[in-house]
Amino acid sequence: MKVRFEPIGGKTAEIIEALMASDDMPLNDELRFKLRLCIEEAVANIVDYAYEGGNGFVEVGTYINGKELFITLEDSGKPFNPLEKSDPDITLSAEDRPIGGLGIFLCKQLMDDMTYAFENGRNKLTMKKNI
Amino acid sequence: MDVTITQEAEKTVVVLTGRLDTTNADRFQQDIAPLMQMETPNIEINCTDMEYTSSQGLRLFLMLQKNVNAHQGKMVMKNMKPQVKEIFDITGFSNIISII
Repeated sequence: MKVRFEPIGGKTAEIIEALMASDDMPLNDELRFKLRLCIEEAVANIVDYAYEGGNGFVEVGTYINGKELFITLEDSGKPFNPLEKSDPDITLSAEDRPIGGLGIFLCKQLMDDMTYAFENGRNKLTMKKNI
Repeated sequence: MDVTITQEAEKTVVVLTGRLDTTNADRFQQDIAPLMQMETPNIEINCTDMEYTSSQGLRLFLMLQKNVNAHQGKMVMKNMKPQVKEIFDITGFSNIISII
């Protein structure tokens, strides 16, 4: 499936639910929990940061190749590679831990692969999960 | 996500029900604002019916824990579902928040 949302301001929940409703999504609760979490983190990043004021589009999709589920997100906002961000130091004390910065880290941990490309003026993020 | 906060004899009990995510984290932050004002917080968070948390929920739990530590208070999270606990484990939050 592939769905386009425009504008995207305030539509985080709607975009997440559209992806979760895809026929490609597994039925297993534990997998769905992890997929929902990664989808939320990726979608929220785009809705909150890709465009000034949320006046842009996002195209989200899913497809299956064998036993692999792929979730794709494309936007034409400012170029941003979320995978370049360094991982948080999870050994720090509560006092020393910064607030935030966990979203993409969680995606990296819970997904089996993540790829990013900037092509034709678009940020293209693909998340892969073995199902 | 439903949040109920009740004051018992010595402790403040927070019961979380449903999904804590980017769509309701702001409201949750308002709900817990009074807990950030306590002189010596003693907080028990009942997670029996908490189905989910994203990073938006984690950041608020960390804020609470930082505030509790700064005031020499106490905070525990109880009865967390395994899939939620895994998120706390992956992020190292299990080491900085008391989960029982």
